[in-house]
Amino acid sequence: MATTTEHVSLSTEPPKLLPWYLIDLPKYLKGFGILTVIYVGLRLYQGAFAIEHGLDSTEPAFEQYWMRLFYIELAIIAAVASGYWGYLWTTRDRNLEQLAPKEEIRRYFTLTMWISIYTFAVYWAGSYFAEQDNSWHQVAIRDTPFTANHIIEFYFNFPLYVILGGCAWLYARTRLPLYAKGISLPLTLAVFGPFMILVSVGFNEWGHTFWFREEFFAAPIHWGFVIGVWFALGVGGILLQGVTRLIELLDRIPDAE
Amino acid sequence: MSAQIPISTFKPYRGEKARLARAYDYLILVLALFLFIGSFHLHFALTVGDWDFWVDWKDRQWWPLVTPLIGITFPAAVQSVLWDKFRLPLGATLCVAALLIGTWVTRVFAYHYWNYFPINMVLPATMIPGALVLDTLLMLTNSLTITSIFGGAAFALLFYPTNWPIFGMFHQPVEVANSQLTIADLFGFQYIRTGMPEYLRIIERGTLRTYGQYATPLAAFCSALLCSLMYPLWWYIGKWFADTRYLKSI
Repeated sequence: MATTTEHVSLSTEPPKLLPWYLIDLPKYLKGFGILTVIYVGLRLYQGAFAIEHGLDSTEPAFEQYWMRLFYIELAIIAAVASGYWGYLWTTRDRNLEQLAPKEEIRRYFTLTMWISIYTFAVYWAGSYFAEQDNSWHQVAIRDTPFTANHIIEFYFNFPLYVILGGCAWLYARTRLPLYAKGISLPLTLAVFGPFMILVSVGFNEWGHTFWFREEFFAAPIHWGFVIGVWFALGVGGILLQGVTRLIELLDRIPDAE
Repeated sequence: MSAQIPISTFKPYRGEKARLARAYDYLILVLALFLFIGSFHLHFALTVGDWDFWVDWKDRQWWPLVTPLIGITFPAAVQSVLWDKFRLPLGATLCVAALLIGTWVTRVFAYHYWNYFPINMVLPATMIPGALVLDTLLMLTNSLTITSIFGGAAFALLFYPTNWPIFGMFHQPVEVANSQLTIADLFGFQYIRTGMPEYLRIIERGTLRTYGQYATPLAAFCSALLCSLMYPLWWYIGKWFADTRYLKSI
């Protein structure tokens, strides 16, 4: 019954569901799930309360339903930024010279997951809620910079993707040797350029003090956002840096079936 | 310091290394999908914007000019990386397909279900046929010059005829209050947009109407010329952003 014994000993080992390089995959998928719940939840909130209480910023209900949401968002953004950035910095690898090739490969996968989560947040901020801004401002008169869509788009979505981009940048800087030795130009462009979109909110709202209407969406006061998003093309450089390093690292580890 | 790909190490991976490389590909695919939906859509919405949002803005003068001219930017930039570095002939199609996914999701959930604009009023235009030609031409010729001239021109010239099956029906004439309008115009007057003043709803300008049926081809050929110039400009912008340098300080 030797075969049986062998089977028993194997069955006591914990099953390996994921290979070593995808060890952070569950966290990555959870990140997608959490973000999806947040964004869909915010959209449902808009559907429920924007028409009813979000058309006139001088109404008391506007303060209750929208400005309160704005203050809650600010608190969440501050907590998430300090929590994630603080965690990534305080747990940094102080011995990167000794990093084994396999661990470095795993970290490149995790960096790619961070950037992917960042681009998922860029999708919601740059695609869905951005164009929804036009739809809402053709229905509501924008009598405040804190409209029912701005409170979500400008003051939650924009800071959130900036935080997640910052997480990707910090992860690379604190855990990968090449990014620790030098500052990656494409990663910096891809994170700091879209950050300038958040700053452009100031220019945009200043412009709208002249035109409270959204006369047309392709107006020059919106072009600050456009220039900021071009910098997302830096991801091509990050990909090239990553692939180049992975090729080198794969040559240093033994072949396995 | 910049990254140099060691050519001598290019060999097919087997076993675990092959699976690892494939897993990395899938991660990049997900990353790229959301990146291009988010970034290209924002760029497009804030520059083409209204011409793509509203059916009554889809005129003969500006729509065939502005849309391909702005639409060729990201495809050119992404092709410069995907074709030049990875020999993937799909940069333009990837960008345009990502844009179309983003616009459709928004038109349905942000315009139709939230603010009750009829979906026919906010249908997005397509640039998929032009993008396929652009990718094919780059793959077959491997030439920036030929793709700029013929691919850029094709991208612009194909735009109006390939969108005609979608939007032609909205150009049918109707008579309303003793005035002749198109159905598209009627959408614009019936569904009030509080932010858009009346004068912006009269889209066609100048002596255009005396040009009659020649207005659209004229706009398309003007767009073809500009797209031929825009394409190489954005090819090099894409190359510039895909820099692989590491800096000592910022």
